[in-house]
Amino acid sequence: MEALLNSDYMKPMPYLLEGLLYTLLITFVGLFFGFVIGAIMGFGRLSKNKLIYGLSSIYVEIIRGTPLLAQILFIYFGLSQLLDINMHKLVAAILAIALNAGAYIAEIVRGAVHSVDKGQMEAGRSIGLTKTQTMRYIIWPQAFKRMIPPLGNQFVISLKDTSLFSAIAVGEMVYQAKTYYATTFTPFETLSMVCLLYLVITIPTSLYLRRIERRLDV
Amino acid sequence: MIQVKDLHKSFGKLEVLKGINANIEEKEVVCVIGPSGSGKSTFLRCLNLLEEVTSGEVIIDGENLTDPKIDINSIRSRVGMVFQHFNLFPHMTVLDNITLGPRKIKKMSKSEAEAAALPLLEKVGLSDKASVYPDSLSGGQKQRVAIARALAMEPKVMLFDEPTSALDPELVGDVLEVMQDLAKEGMTMVVVTHEMGFAKEVGNRVLFMDEGIVMEEGSPQQIFDNPQNSRTQSFLSKVL
Ligand SMILES: Nc1ncnc2c1ncn2[C@@H]1O[C@H](COP(=O)(O)OP(=O)(O)OP(=O)(O)O)[C@@H](O)[C@H]1O
Ligand SMILES: [Mg+2]
Repeated sequence: MEALLNSDYMKPMPYLLEGLLYTLLITFVGLFFGFVIGAIMGFGRLSKNKLIYGLSSIYVEIIRGTPLLAQILFIYFGLSQLLDINMHKLVAAILAIALNAGAYIAEIVRGAVHSVDKGQMEAGRSIGLTKTQTMRYIIWPQAFKRMIPPLGNQFVISLKDTSLFSAIAVGEMVYQAKTYYATTFTPFETLSMVCLLYLVITIPTSLYLRRIERRLDV
Repeated sequence: MIQVKDLHKSFGKLEVLKGINANIEEKEVVCVIGPSGSGKSTFLRCLNLLEEVTSGEVIIDGENLTDPKIDINSIRSRVGMVFQHFNLFPHMTVLDNITLGPRKIKKMSKSEAEAAALPLLEKVGLSDKASVYPDSLSGGQKQRVAIARALAMEPKVMLFDEPTSALDPELVGDVLEVMQDLAKEGMTMVVVTHEMGFAKEVGNRVLFMDEGIVMEEGSPQQIFDNPQNSRTQSFLSKVL
C-alpha cells in the first residue's frame, strides 16, 4: 500500500487533481454560457428574419470552420491586443469554451426544435396560444428532451477540449502534468494518470447517455 | 356565423384557392368534400388563419379576420380545430392537454380548468383516461381527446380536417358519434371529410370543392342523389 502511494504513478496525483478542478470549472461554467449562446443562436438559425438568420449562421460557420486552438489563441492574445486589455487566462478559457461549444449547441438546439412535428405548433396556435407560449409550453419541452443526449456528448467533447488551454498556461490537468514531469522526468506515469482521470469522467458519462438515449427512443 | 367572400390563397406562384364564397349559419354543419389537392384543408386553415389569406375576406362572428388590426389569438381561441393527425401534446397527460388552453389563455386556475375538463372527457367517453399520456391511447381515443381539447376553449365554431381518415376503420364510429352529438347540441361545424355517410346523415349542407373553388353546394340530398355538376358526378361515382 505504502509502495503504491509512493509510486511514480500516484505522486503527481495532488497536482493532477488540482488541474482537474480547473478542467471541470472551465467545462461547467463554459458550457453554461455555451448553452445560453447556443439557445439564442439556435433560434437565430430558425428565424425567418434574414438578418438574424444571417448573423447566427456566420457565427456558427466561423466557429465550426476554425480549429479550437486558433480560437483560444485568438481570444487570449488577439482580443487582448485589439481591446488593449490584460485578459485573465481563466476568463479567456471560459469564453473560448462558451463560444466554441455555443456554435455546436446552436446546431443541437436548431435540430431539436426543428425535429418537433409542425403539427404541434399548429395545434398550439389553434387553441389560441401565441407563438411564444406554444414554443415555451409545447415545442421547447419536447425539443429539450431530444437535446439531452447530444448535449451530454458536447460535455464530453468540451471536457477533453480544455486540455488545449495548456497552450496558454491555464492550470488544467494537462498543463499540470507537463509542469510536473518536466522536473521529475516521469511523463509516462504522469500522463497515464491524466488519461485515467479523463476516462473516469468520460466513460460513465457516455454509458449514462446511451441509457438515456435508449429510454428516449422507445 | 362565418362569411367567406372571394377568398384567394396562393403558395408562391401556385394559386390553391381561386375565389371561395361561402356563408355558414349558426348551428349549421357544413361538410366539405372534394378530390385530393382541391384545397379543402387550405380553405379550412384560412378560417382560423393558420394560413395567411392572400385576398378576400373571412368574417367570423362579426369579426373580419383579414383586418390587420385583429387579435388573431383571440379569434383562434373561439374557433376550435381538429386535425387529421390529432396533434396531441405528447409530453402532457390527457388532462393537461385539455387544460393548457383554459389555463394559459383564459387564466383559469388549475383546479378550475380541471373541473371544467372532466365533463368534456365524459362527453367524449374517456373519463378514465385523464391521467394517461397520449402515447397509450388508440387513434380514436386520441382524436376524441383532441376534440375535448378544442371544446375546452368553448369555441363558437369547430373545424374538422378529415378527423377520421388516419383511423382504423373500427375506430371511426366512436369519433363520428362524438361529432354527431356535438352537432345535435347546436355546435356550428365545418367538416372536411371522406365519410360520405356522415355528410349525408349529419350535414345540413355539403360543399363540393374542386380546383380551388366551390363547384357545387346544396343539401346532402341534392349533392348525393342529384348532383348537377359533371365534376361532382364523376367524383361521387368514384367514392360512393
Ligand atoms: N404550405 C404549402 N406550401 C405549398 N403548397 C401547399 C401548401 N399547402 C398546400 N399546398 C398545395 O395546395 C394544394 C391544395 O392542398 P390542400 O391540402 O388544401 O388540399 P386538400 O383538398 O386538403 O387535399 P387532401 O384531400 O389530399 O387533404 C395542393 O396542391 C398542395 O400541394
Ligand atoms: Mg387535406
